[in-house]
Amino acid sequence: MARTLPALGVGVVVVLAGVALATMRVNPYLYFAGYVILQYVVIATAWNILGGYGGYVNFGTPAFFALGAYTAVFLIRSIKAPLPVLIVAGGLVAALLGLGIGYLTLRLRGTFFSIATLALSVVLQTMIINWEYVGGSRGISVIRPSGPPFGNYVVFLFTVMLGLAVVAVLVARFIERSWIGRGLAALRDNEEAAECMGVPTLRLKLFATTISGFLLGVAGAPFPYYVTFVEPNSAFALDYAVNALAMPMIGGTTSWVGPVIGAVLLGTTQQLATVTISSELNLLIVGVVLVAFVVLAPEGILGLVRRVRGRI
Amino acid sequence: MTRTRALIAVTLATLVVVAAAALVPVARAADPIKLGFGMALTGGLSANGKPALLAVEIWKDDVNKKGGLLGRPVQLIYYDDQTNPSTVPGIYTKLLDVDKVDLVISGYGTNLIAPLMPIAMERKLTVMGMFGLANNEKYQYPNYFQIQPAGPDPQTSTAIGFFELAARQNPKPQTVAIVGADAEYPQNALVGARELIKRYGLKTVYDKTYPPSTVDYTPIVRAIKATNPDIVFVASYPPDSVGMLRAAHEVGLQPKIFGGGMVGLMFTTVMTSMGSMLNGVVNYDFWAPEPPFLAIPGIKEFLKEYQARAEKAGVDPLGYYLPPYSYALVQVLGQAVEATKGLDQQKIADHIRATEFNTIVGKVKFGKNGEWAKGRTLMVQYQKISGNSIDQFRGPGKKVVLYPDEFKSGNLIYPYAAALK
Repeated sequence: MARTLPALGVGVVVVLAGVALATMRVNPYLYFAGYVILQYVVIATAWNILGGYGGYVNFGTPAFFALGAYTAVFLIRSIKAPLPVLIVAGGLVAALLGLGIGYLTLRLRGTFFSIATLALSVVLQTMIINWEYVGGSRGISVIRPSGPPFGNYVVFLFTVMLGLAVVAVLVARFIERSWIGRGLAALRDNEEAAECMGVPTLRLKLFATTISGFLLGVAGAPFPYYVTFVEPNSAFALDYAVNALAMPMIGGTTSWVGPVIGAVLLGTTQQLATVTISSELNLLIVGVVLVAFVVLAPEGILGLVRRVRGRI
Repeated sequence: MTRTRALIAVTLATLVVVAAAALVPVARAADPIKLGFGMALTGGLSANGKPALLAVEIWKDDVNKKGGLLGRPVQLIYYDDQTNPSTVPGIYTKLLDVDKVDLVISGYGTNLIAPLMPIAMERKLTVMGMFGLANNEKYQYPNYFQIQPAGPDPQTSTAIGFFELAARQNPKPQTVAIVGADAEYPQNALVGARELIKRYGLKTVYDKTYPPSTVDYTPIVRAIKATNPDIVFVASYPPDSVGMLRAAHEVGLQPKIFGGGMVGLMFTTVMTSMGSMLNGVVNYDFWAPEPPFLAIPGIKEFLKEYQARAEKAGVDPLGYYLPPYSYALVQVLGQAVEATKGLDQQKIADHIRATEFNTIVGKVKFGKNGEWAKGRTLMVQYQKISGNSIDQFRGPGKKVVLYPDEFKSGNLIYPYAAALK
């Protein structure tokens, strides 16, 4: 607890640095690429709260992300809500979904939970396809509000996403270091034993799915303004599920730093690959890196660092 | 002393400024003109994206052989958008801010054009759209031009020829079944079809959609057959076009006129795999190797070059759907650059808006919302196809143009069953 204040301080400094970067107006491409990488920091961190700390692998990331995005689309279309409202609303709706899905599926364990979350994504996508108001299968164009701060909407979105990433990481760090994180770790190692020791496993799992869902929804909410065109296939893209899982795996799932490292590394590699080699290689890169890490460094980069340090 | 120092300082400063000025790149005559775009080279639309890219490359080579644009060679800079709209903002920002391209065109398809619109508008670019349906209806951006000849009323453009042909028959067919996938294009086409059904005073006996992931189409076709319609209008994407047609043959669905908006039937791989099953189908198209189109100057040379290179590149070997239009799209842009003698986006757009262009797909004039001033969506009928050889599709006679009248190259075999014999 005593180290919460310095962490908050670091968070504030990072946000301020982001704002400073935004005012500098360096090459706009940096903001575009930076936005995507930061978005993955939020997604990977959110996934890791349930998947890393609690050991429940969630393949339904696209469902939560898209729900955030589509909540935003709905609010933009109906009441032209401002961005902060979109983010909070997107987060809350996704959190509700997380809570609901927690109640329904957390009796399932291991692979069966994962399969259920995969199905969730398919079900939700089918619903969106049949909902004309938010564009249905045709997709919908979203017009950005005029006169954003920093003079450019994407620069503005970049700083917003940076703020969200900082918040997500702080939340993850807080959970990790509190009794919640220890409880989740206990149920990851052995759920029965944890339950016997008095760890409120169901409540913890529900908490984790809800928070994880909330942050994923938050990551999705600014998406409509970023792409300006939302359609089900890209909002529910499998990439989100794969990356959400691969990034923490590569960074290390047991600590809040892991997903951040993974997201920055993999996110940057993907962004570079898209515009240099070929994006054909994009998912292949993720796949190869993921396999390599699972085989060679099952605890991710953090585990690798620890091992090297231990040897010395 | 201070004076000397000041003098040295001034001299140094001047030198620095001069050096800096020398470093600033100045466009020289030999600097290439960069044309940038994202293209679907992987993902769902890549089967069309790759041929489109090849067509643009052929244009680049043709132009450079003739000395380039404005005396400068043309260079292409493109990235794979993975058929994923969320990659588009990043790709075009990279193109504009890092690669510093001079001109942009869109990638292939409505969904990949949509995210480009706000970027183009923000920077006041002239943007050429490659086969997008009604992308500009919401924005009404004056510097957007789209090459698919859907015309000023894109929603009814797919179906109009189909219903027009049906209405001309004697006795006039009365009942109609419409069916399509739950996806972007089919939904648009069905909206248009419903409007036309009203306009032609037909009676709808079946109007349903199916999820794009459907694999077995026989139940759908059976349900349609049970309503015994005179007309069956299908709006589908390639996998379901094939599925519907196979199912129709299996179930023995034989309305008087069948087809309409089935995307994919005109793709070479589909034509060769379906073979004689295509006979009698009346479908929309944009290009056919029929005399009215082959007579347009430049097209034969283009196709010869395309087909030679397509074989090596392993893409659509005939290139009768998208490639001529992709080529025409950059032709328009190139002609506008030459005519305005510069790269001023606004001047280029003004010129494109005001001019009728001669391209390898014929005369192109843009109108409302940057669509073709007059639509030219064809209705063709597949006739006398036997077996699966690719060569029969190279020349005229297999894909006969029925509509519009000025491009007509043959007559409708009516009813559908007669064409199956």
